[in-house]
Amino acid sequence: MKKYISIHNYIKGTLAFALLAFALPACEVDDIPDPNNPTIESVLLNATVDDLNNLVVGTESGMRSVLGTYYDNVGVVGREHYRFSGSEPRFTSDLLGAGSAVLDNNTFYTTNPWSARYRVVKNTNTIIGAVENTTLITDAQKQGYLGFAKTIKAHQLLMNSTLMNTSGIRIEVDDINNLGPLVEDVPAQLAAIAGLLNEAQAHLQSPEVAFAFSLSEGFTGFDTPETFLEFNRALAARVAVYRGNYAEALTLLEGSFLELTTNFDKGVYYVFSTAPGDQLNPLYFARNATGDVRLAHPSFVADATPGDDRLSKVALRDAPATQSSLTSQYDVALYESNVDPVPLIRNEELILIYAEAKIQTGAFGDAKDALDIIRTGHGLQPYTGPLNQEAMLDEMLYQRRYSLYFEGHRWVDMRRYDRLDELPIDRANDDVWTSFPLPFNEIGV
Amino acid sequence: MKKVYPLRVLILFFLMVPFALYGQTSVTGTVTDAGSGSTLPGVSVVVLGTTTGATTDAAGRYSIQLPGSTGRLQFSYLGYVTQVVDVTSATTNIDVKLQERTTNLQEVVVTGLATTVKRSNAANAVAALNTKELVGTTNPQTLDAAISGKVVGANVVSSSGAPGGGISVKLRGVTSIFGEAEPLYVIDGVIMDNSSISGGLNAVTAAGGGGNSSTQDNPSNRIADLNPDDIENIEFLKGASAAAIYGSLAAAGVVVITTKRGAMGKTEINLSQDIGFTKVSNLLGQRTLTEDRVRASFGDAAVPLFLNAQNQGQLFDYEEELFGNTGMLYNTRLNVSGGNDRTRFYVGGLVQDEEGIIKRTGYEKKSLRFNLDHTISKMFDFSLSSNYINSSTDRGLTNNDNAGVSFGVALSSTPSFVNLFPDENGLYPNNPFASSNFLQTRDLIRNNESTNRFIGGITINGHLYETSLSSTRLTLRSGLDFYNLKTNALFPRLLQFQANGNGTGGASIQGNNFNLNTNFAAFLVNSLYLADKTVTFTTTLGATRENFNQDQTLNVATQLIGSQTNLDQAGAVDVDQTIIKERNKGLFFQEELNYKDQILATAGLRLDKSSNNADANEFQAFPKFSLAVNLANFDFWTNETFNMVKLRVAYGQAGGFPVFGAKYTSLVPFNIGGAPGLINAIQRGNEDIKQERQKELEAGLDLSILNGKVVFEGTVYDKTVSDLILVQSVPASSGFTTRFVNGGELQNRGLELAVSATPLESPNFKWDTRTNYWLNRSEMKELDVPAFPLGGFGNTLGTFFIEEGESVTQIKGISGDAGVVKLGDAAPDFQMNFHNFFTFKQNLTFSFLLHWKKGGENINLTQLLTDLGGTSPDYDDDDDGDGIPNAEERVAALGVSAAPFVQEASYLRLREVGLYYNLPVTTLQRVFGTVVRNLRVGVSANNLFTITDYEGYDPEVSNFGSNGLSTGVDVTPFPPSRRMFFHFAIGF
Repeated sequence: MKKYISIHNYIKGTLAFALLAFALPACEVDDIPDPNNPTIESVLLNATVDDLNNLVVGTESGMRSVLGTYYDNVGVVGREHYRFSGSEPRFTSDLLGAGSAVLDNNTFYTTNPWSARYRVVKNTNTIIGAVENTTLITDAQKQGYLGFAKTIKAHQLLMNSTLMNTSGIRIEVDDINNLGPLVEDVPAQLAAIAGLLNEAQAHLQSPEVAFAFSLSEGFTGFDTPETFLEFNRALAARVAVYRGNYAEALTLLEGSFLELTTNFDKGVYYVFSTAPGDQLNPLYFARNATGDVRLAHPSFVADATPGDDRLSKVALRDAPATQSSLTSQYDVALYESNVDPVPLIRNEELILIYAEAKIQTGAFGDAKDALDIIRTGHGLQPYTGPLNQEAMLDEMLYQRRYSLYFEGHRWVDMRRYDRLDELPIDRANDDVWTSFPLPFNEIGV
Repeated sequence: MKKVYPLRVLILFFLMVPFALYGQTSVTGTVTDAGSGSTLPGVSVVVLGTTTGATTDAAGRYSIQLPGSTGRLQFSYLGYVTQVVDVTSATTNIDVKLQERTTNLQEVVVTGLATTVKRSNAANAVAALNTKELVGTTNPQTLDAAISGKVVGANVVSSSGAPGGGISVKLRGVTSIFGEAEPLYVIDGVIMDNSSISGGLNAVTAAGGGGNSSTQDNPSNRIADLNPDDIENIEFLKGASAAAIYGSLAAAGVVVITTKRGAMGKTEINLSQDIGFTKVSNLLGQRTLTEDRVRASFGDAAVPLFLNAQNQGQLFDYEEELFGNTGMLYNTRLNVSGGNDRTRFYVGGLVQDEEGIIKRTGYEKKSLRFNLDHTISKMFDFSLSSNYINSSTDRGLTNNDNAGVSFGVALSSTPSFVNLFPDENGLYPNNPFASSNFLQTRDLIRNNESTNRFIGGITINGHLYETSLSSTRLTLRSGLDFYNLKTNALFPRLLQFQANGNGTGGASIQGNNFNLNTNFAAFLVNSLYLADKTVTFTTTLGATRENFNQDQTLNVATQLIGSQTNLDQAGAVDVDQTIIKERNKGLFFQEELNYKDQILATAGLRLDKSSNNADANEFQAFPKFSLAVNLANFDFWTNETFNMVKLRVAYGQAGGFPVFGAKYTSLVPFNIGGAPGLINAIQRGNEDIKQERQKELEAGLDLSILNGKVVFEGTVYDKTVSDLILVQSVPASSGFTTRFVNGGELQNRGLELAVSATPLESPNFKWDTRTNYWLNRSEMKELDVPAFPLGGFGNTLGTFFIEEGESVTQIKGISGDAGVVKLGDAAPDFQMNFHNFFTFKQNLTFSFLLHWKKGGENINLTQLLTDLGGTSPDYDDDDDGDGIPNAEERVAALGVSAAPFVQEASYLRLREVGLYYNLPVTTLQRVFGTVVRNLRVGVSANNLFTITDYEGYDPEVSNFGSNGLSTGVDVTPFPPSRRMFFHFAIGF
């Protein structure tokens, strides 16, 4: 009996198992490739021109990410504007150092700009890595990609350097498992950035060089290896004055697109559009908006010279805006729409770099000529002050303040001339910061 | 003789036929409630194994003709324990007392995918809710609300008061930080998707920085689609020891839902109509303004506006205007059920139409369920469950935003003296104190989610082999869950924040999401009865297969043409598409042993593979073991008072998948000027990512005293998740900001106590009560990545902080010179509930549910926003008497200390209360004859009162929805509401 049952069970069991097997024809599970995106590995070996061009476009596009926060950081700390927000109190507390508030190393204004710039750096490194690992492009094209990638990488590192200052940046980030050391010394940061720009120059000046890619409208006039190099040299000149290498700056300007004319707006721009996957200008807010607004710091209008057409960079509001004991009657009004381009570097800055380098090298006459281009170009009389270094530096910084208003320079300029204590304080106990703190996640790496 | 055993059965069978023909027996009797002694009309009486059935009449009497001289009669009645009585040829009268299912000891609980065990024999503490507990007291809007505060061992938090639900359910603590921390929902064997899919509001609110969608978009969960009234029973397998048989999907627990099914007997029709209204349950109040206060907070320019408004008596209470709508609630349900011995059916229909406490918000649902059971032959039967749901919810615009456009954010800075009402032409003035005029926003925007969903499952049972010593059953089951969720958010270009160059010139944001889950399973179950049926072995072998597919498309059309809303009537369109594909296969084996109901032991093993793992074809093994000893069933036990004393212990393992896509390092589209570009995603992939593994050990003691009058269940558990999946914040200088890693161990330990009792029971009065107490403590035992903040708004405002040796839900923030310190913990110290049902004179029932959550902090940023906006009701009060007004003090802390924002969120809430009157049977018969079986009227309410010191709208809140562990962040939520109903139900 027992045996019978067990045999019987065995047969039934086998039958049932056969059914189970029928119900589940295969026991393999397919490994599903990413259904949403290409993987980074797909471009690292034998990348095509198309692959690389996508990365170039992505790189240029990425340069615009989180620009709004970057400009709010440097503009608010540099007392160029106030940023009010109905939902974000830290623009008026942390950034202005209200009471005993300090900058946070682990919140959006510190981490987001930092991450956005290094994301682009990573993409340039991907281009550099891919270019070295493909046989599907010509050597001339290779030089073009490298010249582009290294120039943009240098610019992105410079943006983080201006924000972080002595908190440090990393230069070597190619090996993501072994990130390079934190460089806290600002001259060393700038030296490395200048080095990268020079490497890019070498690529762009190779005997055989070609751009197999197109750039956006923001690079109109700077989209061939030759003209892109002028953009590269302009950035190098900016870095040179930051380093105090004034004679070098003058040399570098020669290779740039400097024009000692009132063609102030010639230059390279971040551009925006409503096309799919594109970004909108984050620096644009409608006039007389309420709630979320950018307002000119009252000192901008108060310190202006009558007749200065640069006052049009701000606009009188229908009603003043007040928040956290801060009031302003003027909107920041540089942009008319959310697709207006934002300058990355333009001729007006180059003229001022030229003036600064001339002042610092004692060529006061040349400096005055340059400053007068600025002054007369904006409806003011030529410079009549004394032709000495001290007075002319004041004048140069004043012109930079108005010419480059809300373009991310004021705070950096005052810092490199050690004049942050001259920035206006609105409320007792407010602070003027010199550096943003190193993002939390970079500590101890 | 032994060899011809089957032959004997055959002969016996043939011999029985004449018996059946000749020896019919007629049986009559009365069925009563075992507790109160009252008669039960409508009880189904069936002769097992035949087509013969009857129903008790209004006096509880039945009469039935047996086909043979002997047989077995089954008495079943909704809400009562089914009883089977043997009929011998001599019997002519059988009176039956049915036991109401309050003590739950006889009900069955699931122990495997295809087997169940009597609760009195279970080795796990499985929390269960029946129809009465779910919907018996009042009418919850969605399933979320139906389980809130009722489940021992669960922390259920509503994300907001928005119509259509939105809930976070954590069973026995947080079990995963970045993996799936919400339980798996299985309805009649079909795995039901519970996604929360964003409607893309972030494109307008910018709450989560860039991108079209964020975790702050306040979506509902799709479990809300289910009609709570269709549910017969819900069981909560709270940890791996009970849920191991679900393997990789079960780490956060499994919620097993069984829907109502037809019973043999007379066809029953139940129609019920509820009419009610809803009101906001708490408003923050308004600041009393004076000229000086206006000058200080809103500037000199505002003073004349204020004075003018004051003189004209035009100070408005905008909070009341915005949140003070009285919403009407209508619910109509029709159920028809019945059947014979071969076929049984249940049809349930629901039409629900509810308005919200904000104008132009609301919830509509239509649900149709058809459940069918059919016995094909002696060998085969099948059952079908099917449910079609159409739901639509308008959810308003609440929660955090960075553009000043959500209702609450705009309200927080708007003083009472500004006039925001439309003029005679219907044009709304701009709000000078915020980015948006919230009355205009409310009246012109749309934020709608609409779903069409079908859930269907079929189970076929084959009784392959039956003898008195062994039976073998094959069960094949397949199910599918399909839905299309359309999200539709419309922001016309007339809005203050879209007009005149603000915003994007209008936005029409439309999402189209398809979800298809299919699952297949086959089980072979053998029961072997040995040693005179004193020992039972139940063996289960099975295989499962699950396919999950989701395709989400989100279209953001901006620069709208006039008042047009179609996606093509726009100057710019942006599209996101996300596809999720997952394939899992599993095998399992389980052996259950029952020795005389004295010793019950189980061992099981599940083997799983999944396309979500880095190695898709590596089997993951999840074992489980359990042992229960029923001391009272041993011969030596003579104590009459304690009729059940059960010691139990269970151990099991379960897994939790990495989130989809964790293994890929992708390049994502990043265009400029119409040219296509790619940039590396911010998430760095991990090619070695593997499942989380949870090991849970639970032990308990169950007691039944005085024949089930008092039942006590006590459980302690320790569940530890290793290989915890973490999003490591990698140094952003690498170009990535996050990476999924297996890097930690998280422990949850807790205690659950449940006492249910029937303290009083007489024909005129009955009181059933149930009290639960539960607590959970978590600790990060190991953390292989640096401690990191999560799910808040940074240290300045308070944030969750994952740190070794600390509770996983701790809240840290800056605190003056002390730096970043622990300021609180979101996990409650303990929770308790108190559920009571009273029956007076058999016709009047009264029930209520009190829920007490003790401890647990929220991050209240709503108050910060009203402080900054100068509108806090207690702005000028001085609670600590130091001469500095409250709000100024709190604002001064900004950037110095996050402590003022971390606030205790304890509460005592009367979640449900209901009073019903059943017309006496005799009255019914007098008026309607036998047509009407029952008639019930009642009133009920939901969230009638909440006692709390918390200073926000409600202590139950989650700006980040049900995502991860970061519930309890309060940023201008949709306020909670109170619901009150009048009920009418009639049964035919």
